[in-house]
Amino acid sequence: MMEFDVIFGNAARAAFGPEAVILALAAIGLNVHFGYTGLLNFGQVGFMLLGAYGTSVSVATFGWSLWVGIPVGLALSAVLALALGIPTLRLQAVLFAIATIAAAEILRLIIGSTDAIELTGGPLSISFDASAFYDLNPYAEGPQVRYGAGTFAFTGQQLWVITVGWTLVALAGLAVFLIVRSPWGRVLKSIREDENAARSLGKNVFAYRMQALVIGGVIAGLAGVVDAIKTSGADPNGFRPQVTFFTYTALLLGGSATCTGPVLGAILFWFLREWIESFLRQLAAEAWLPQPISDSLSGSEGVISVGVVGLALIMLVLFRPQGIVGNRTEMLIDDG
Amino acid sequence: MTVDEYPDADAATVEEVEPILRVRSEPGVSKPDPILTVEGVRRTFGGLVAVDIDHLEVQRGVVTALIGPNGAGKTTLFNLLSGFERADRGRWAFAGRLVSGMSADRLARQGMVRTFQLTKSLARLPVIENMLLGAPDQMGERLRIAPFRSRWRDQERDNTERAGQLLEQFNLMHMRDELAGTLSGGQRKLLEVARALMAEPRLIMLDEPMAGVNPALAQSLMQHISLLAMSGVSVVFIEHDMNVVAGISDWVVVLAEGRVIAEGPPWNVIHNDLVIDAYLGRSGRPAESTGREESS
Ligand SMILES: Nc1ncnc2c1ncn2[C@@H]1O[C@H](COP(=O)(O)OP(=O)(O)OP(=O)(O)O)[C@@H](O)[C@H]1O
Ligand SMILES: [Mg+2]
Repeated sequence: MMEFDVIFGNAARAAFGPEAVILALAAIGLNVHFGYTGLLNFGQVGFMLLGAYGTSVSVATFGWSLWVGIPVGLALSAVLALALGIPTLRLQAVLFAIATIAAAEILRLIIGSTDAIELTGGPLSISFDASAFYDLNPYAEGPQVRYGAGTFAFTGQQLWVITVGWTLVALAGLAVFLIVRSPWGRVLKSIREDENAARSLGKNVFAYRMQALVIGGVIAGLAGVVDAIKTSGADPNGFRPQVTFFTYTALLLGGSATCTGPVLGAILFWFLREWIESFLRQLAAEAWLPQPISDSLSGSEGVISVGVVGLALIMLVLFRPQGIVGNRTEMLIDDG
Repeated sequence: MTVDEYPDADAATVEEVEPILRVRSEPGVSKPDPILTVEGVRRTFGGLVAVDIDHLEVQRGVVTALIGPNGAGKTTLFNLLSGFERADRGRWAFAGRLVSGMSADRLARQGMVRTFQLTKSLARLPVIENMLLGAPDQMGERLRIAPFRSRWRDQERDNTERAGQLLEQFNLMHMRDELAGTLSGGQRKLLEVARALMAEPRLIMLDEPMAGVNPALAQSLMQHISLLAMSGVSVVFIEHDMNVVAGISDWVVVLAEGRVIAEGPPWNVIHNDLVIDAYLGRSGRPAESTGREESS
């Protein structure tokens, strides 16, 4: 018996859960880079990694307060933006793209190396005491206490994380909205369209790109911080390059260079992914799936659901290239 | 050639209004009030000498045409002077200040604004936003001020008003809210000139502004350029159409193989044998027929 209410509940739970918060923040940051400024940043996960590890290491290794660890994580993301941007932002777009993906991978490999065990936990995950955050939880706790209905339900702790998480998403989204609707945002878009045109009108392209890179990077760092708090730690395996690609998927799903696009995209991404995953699990439970496919479901990677989300993205590009909330005519303009 | 031979104008007023007309017609001659002075500028691409100028001055407040056969180095010279390309050597001063090596955006903020032969309209921005981008010294372009609309709203309103007037003059008002990418090639040329004017330039450098623009609009663009010079803006423009050159320029500089081979008032230069030879030598066609194709 297929229980579609369960499937829907699971999907909705994923769509509003902490994972979606993290993806939404990363996509808001990427939107500043890619959507508005045209920066091909393929290393968004590197900023998230520094946000997460900056927080985790500060608390776990150095024993600092979480309220110090969070700014440290955000500051490290900003430092990465500067370190990455100063040498590469003057290069061609493609070279910048390569530099970003390389930098993110190098960071993950260094942090996850056995030599770094003392500092970061190396290949093992690092964990810290996030009680400073959970002590503030206003929701009642208990083994039986659940908020929601059916499978769409959260514990008090989870609800606290997502309350704070979606508040941060709203604040980050609002901040980005306020700056991109201004003449400053217009300069970003002009750089995306044609940097030499911007230059010929007196805009310091490098400085604007740098500002965009730092802002988007710090917002991604915030995604990393939420990730660290959610799991009370960090694991190098959580920061593989596909995180960046999922972030692009969410951004394009929702609509690049729009204010609500990255948030809607992140919600839809997790809804689709979990809906398919949950659907397939039920099929497997009914033994309606061939053995190799149901075996692959037991892996935590969600190979098939990710594949289907990929397919959805291809359909989207074909039929609605502007994303859910994007502007179609704008999308279909060819560069001339 | 003397001042007396100036077509329909009497010598006294000519001398008063146009001191440029007392300047001798010879390459590299100095001018009474130059806004731009170029000294020994050279640029090579591999073995090809694209630009090699000993000395060139551009007079303030007049319209100077830069002509020459295809590949003469006109665009390259613009690129060098406006900071979009590096010169191998040489120095140049703008408005009395040495600016060689200065970045393109700083030069533009100093008042030296150029347009491109291959138009650079910002395709995914509306026409009006293209215009507003040109406005100088915008408070709202500073990150710290940008989030606070009240701090830049008034300036934005004034700029929007000025942009509207320019769009009106350039026959683009009906396209105000369309994306610039939907404009025709000629409209994009016009938009680019209008946008450059938004930047309130002291010297505007136009690279084939009339190419692809229909004759009626080209006519009004020519008038606009003349008016601009009267209001004190210096204009340098690259053009292949000799009728346009003769129609609006006060002074013509002829470039061939990267060198200034002749300069002088239009009626003097256009029929100069050296110039005709340069055109014929390069393209095998008479000067009149080289121009007017949209190059993008
Ligand atoms: N980036 C470049 N690399 C190599 N050669 C170049 C480059 N830019 C220009 N050139 C060469 O320099 C010479 C001058 O080119 P330029 O574009 O300045 O000519 P132009 O006078 O503007 O010609 P046109 O009237 O056709 O626009 C040409 O021979 C051209 O091939
Ligand atoms: Mg040219």
